[in-house]
Amino acid sequence: MITLKTTLGDIKIELDFDKAPITAKNFQQYVEDGFYDGTIFHRVIKGFMAQGGGFSSGMGEKETRASIENEASNGLGNKRGTLAMARTQDPHSASAQFFINLADNDFLDFKNESTQGWGYCVFGEVVEGMDIVDKMTLVETGRMGFHDDVPKEEIIIESAIAE
Amino acid sequence: MSHFIPEQVTYFIADLHLAQNRPDITACFLSFLKNQAPQAEKLYILGDLFESWIGDDDDCPFVTDVAAALLALKKTGTEILFIHGNRDFLLGRKFADKSGMILLPEVSLIDLYGKPVVILHGDTLCTRDIAYQAFRKKSRSWWWQTMVKSLPLFIRRKIAANYRQRSAAATAMKAQDIMDVTPQEVVNCMERYHCNLMIHGHTHRPDIHELDVNNHEAKRIVLGDWYEQGAWLKVTKDKTELLYQPFISKP
Repeated sequence: MITLKTTLGDIKIELDFDKAPITAKNFQQYVEDGFYDGTIFHRVIKGFMAQGGGFSSGMGEKETRASIENEASNGLGNKRGTLAMARTQDPHSASAQFFINLADNDFLDFKNESTQGWGYCVFGEVVEGMDIVDKMTLVETGRMGFHDDVPKEEIIIESAIAE
Repeated sequence: MSHFIPEQVTYFIADLHLAQNRPDITACFLSFLKNQAPQAEKLYILGDLFESWIGDDDDCPFVTDVAAALLALKKTGTEILFIHGNRDFLLGRKFADKSGMILLPEVSLIDLYGKPVVILHGDTLCTRDIAYQAFRKKSRSWWWQTMVKSLPLFIRRKIAANYRQRSAAATAMKAQDIMDVTPQEVVNCMERYHCNLMIHGHTHRPDIHELDVNNHEAKRIVLGDWYEQGAWLKVTKDKTELLYQPFISKP
């Protein structure tokens, strides 16, 4: 169990080590290293998802470990309340950034092993504090540098704890 | 490189009036196809993509470039759906195949994130333009189209060139030159398709109108033309926006 202590409240997450072993371990490692402490949710879109874990307060991008293999073909769907890894166009480019699905986003699921079809790997689920996640969408968002949908009032992960 | 989770997006465009003598419009469109459109699961083109269309056998480089750019978009996974306009109604399956587009009926009912939406070019809503509606009827008949398509390419090119010369205003067809829709026809059309959202182009009067259809709230979204800027409608699950892109000014 992981607890994200945010400025809006606590979010408890269960990782799926069975279906997404590499991704779950990777996430747990970042938590134990204290990597997420002081990071923000930097892209929040109501009815879609809340993305975080890569930028510190003030939108400074953090140095990550190497990227990991994409395990999106594990059968887990991007349903509301699930956590999945963010990545670039390259399917195997996830490192620390993750997102919480705010709706059933089936179109992000694995379809096939192509650049377009690989999808986004689900590796965990919010088991407590989904109301805190929903509160994130009430914060006004805007453009900041090259980024859209950035909450104007920072939503900070003060600490992430593995139990 | 940014970790960007693509939102489910649908784009609607119309009235680009692409023409060989307007490279600024073409440049803006090619940039849209490269930079914005690949994000989308679907791109709907609601007519008048081209200023004129003389036949799918037209092999001028400008048309070939546009087809190649559309096909490249399709290969990124974006579905491209096309409804004919009053300018490019002769565009056929051959060109559609070449550019990876699916041709839709002139009035189509689609599902947009769970909501039914009626989409069309919009010229059929302008019922007060009697002369145009008469021409429309004639030009959609098989005999008229067979006659035009059987003319040699060079003659069709000449007819199109003459037409362009005659209409001196071809560089900027303003909204006031085009008749607006007949309000009752809008209501009739939405009733026929049992939906409360309509998206169309043609009138060059981009706007989102709130209206009443049988005591139900309804919306009519009019797409913008591309004579002076790029214009597209971006729809996501919870946002509908008309967006504009200025042309890149020449140095």
